Amino acid sequence: MAGPRSYIFNVVNTLKTTLVGMRITGKYLMRKPITVQYPDERMPIPDRFRGIHYLEQEKCIDCLVCARACPIDCIEMEAVRHGKELEWISFTLDYQKCMFCELCVYPCPKDCIHMGTEYAFVSFDRGDFKHDLLSYQGMAPDARERMREADAKKRAAAAAKAAQLPPGGEALGA
Amino acid sequence: MSTGEGNAFLDLLNAVLPASVPSWIVVPSAAVLAIAVCVALISVNTMFSVWLERKVAGHIQCRYGPMYTGWHGWLQSLADAVKLLVKEDIVPRGADRILFVLAPALALAGILGAMAAYPFAPHVFFADIDLGLFLILALSSVTTIGIVMAGWASNSKWSLLGAMREAAQVIAYEVPLGLALLVPVMIGGTLNLIEASRLQSDWFGMGWFVFKNPFALPALALFFTAALAETKRAPFDLPEAESELVAGFHTEYSGIRWSFFFMEEYTGMFLMSAIAAVFFLGGFESPLTWGLRQSLGEDPGFLNHVVRADGSTQTLIAIGGFVFQLVCALTLIVKTMLGVFLMMWLRWTLPRLRVDQVMTMGYKYLTPLALLCVLGGGLWEWARAGWGS
Repeated sequence: MAGPRSYIFNVVNTLKTTLVGMRITGKYLMRKPITVQYPDERMPIPDRFRGIHYLEQEKCIDCLVCARACPIDCIEMEAVRHGKELEWISFTLDYQKCMFCELCVYPCPKDCIHMGTEYAFVSFDRGDFKHDLLSYQGMAPDARERMREADAKKRAAAAAKAAQLPPGGEALGA
Repeated sequence: MSTGEGNAFLDLLNAVLPASVPSWIVVPSAAVLAIAVCVALISVNTMFSVWLERKVAGHIQCRYGPMYTGWHGWLQSLADAVKLLVKEDIVPRGADRILFVLAPALALAGILGAMAAYPFAPHVFFADIDLGLFLILALSSVTTIGIVMAGWASNSKWSLLGAMREAAQVIAYEVPLGLALLVPVMIGGTLNLIEASRLQSDWFGMGWFVFKNPFALPALALFFTAALAETKRAPFDLPEAESELVAGFHTEYSGIRWSFFFMEEYTGMFLMSAIAAVFFLGGFESPLTWGLRQSLGEDPGFLNHVVRADGSTQTLIAIGGFVFQLVCALTLIVKTMLGVFLMMWLRWTLPRLRVDQVMTMGYKYLTPLALLCVLGGGLWEWARAGWGS
């Protein structure tokens, strides 16, 4: 196109398109921003989200099944057995390696390791990513109590058994 | 001259200082006071405008913009200003040191000088100049010299290209800018900003020039477009053109010198919007000022000169007049800020034009259309005056 018609068309078109554009941006200007103010507020986390693990330490029996299931061997645990009770030294997950595959969760016989909802795991030091899942070190707070009770029960049972035996039965029993 | 009093700063000093202080101290003091107020004003205006711009940009893109420094980030610009003040001041190797250092000062000086004609209120102004509009247009063009100087002295091809674009753009758009302003000047018959505003006080304070002549509205549109190009705002921000020229003419600048260019740009926006507000949109006049004027009298000042019984005069602050001046000032600032907001809205709406498109728009569209407006507006005014009878 050329000539006066195209000239007038250009002028009108420029004004029209500018107004159309301003209407669109004006609409966005008026609506609520979709930004989530991240550290202050967070997006809702889905139910099956796989974040940092958490451990129900009282249930754990130090069976190492999760560590064996891990395809990249990032789980390490160390505990000393005292009869049925465990004295915990460490239960670490190296999050520099972990790929959040959840394979450690399924084989657990006591259902005590889970994937949590926390995802903002930040540190200035790489060493920090070898994360200890233990909520307490050593034995469970009530472990000694339980051990003492079990011991007392055992002694009582032995004493009862000894009382039931007929006199001079020791030779027979042997 | 529309006002009964002289410079408000001089009046205030005369009222505050004892009469024994000689005038050769009072007058320069008033000048220094006025300059200090002007510098403070453009700094505050720049900070507010930058904050507003970031908020507008954010919300147009469905973001919030700055949120953490104070309520909705209103102190962000202050934090940025402090940062800019303590930044390293770099002069690149091979740069023309004298011109490089002088350029931002010259750019800011032009716009500072133009601010002299900005009227706050009918009785509060730096200078009541009969050629106020002419002074603003003349001095705001001085900034172009500063920018070309900056581009040349930087010893960088990006800076030089930006400066050349700025020069070409200003030459192309200065013509329609002036021509479009001729329409309200013909309606009012004055270049004085305060006088022009007073002439729009009829029709219950709505006798704005834009309503008084059918050619004033297209002239306003043309003026606003040309003002966008004049202040290097998008879609005419070719001298800066981030995607092509790094940062254009201020590529090599840092710290306080760089912020001078920023202040120059935002003060330019403010001044251009103020011209549009005064010469098209009624200046101080609105139904509110009209109502106040009905109750307070034709031209209420904020200082009363009372003659005492012993013949000496005492200057008192008049409450009614003070309120009137305040309302006038706020009316103009609101209108001006609406213009600034419109500039921001346009910036975040339109993409940048190509160099040839900018030149085409300036020379082939704006200039002839502005000439048409001048012709039509002039004929209309001539008819209104009874064909020169």
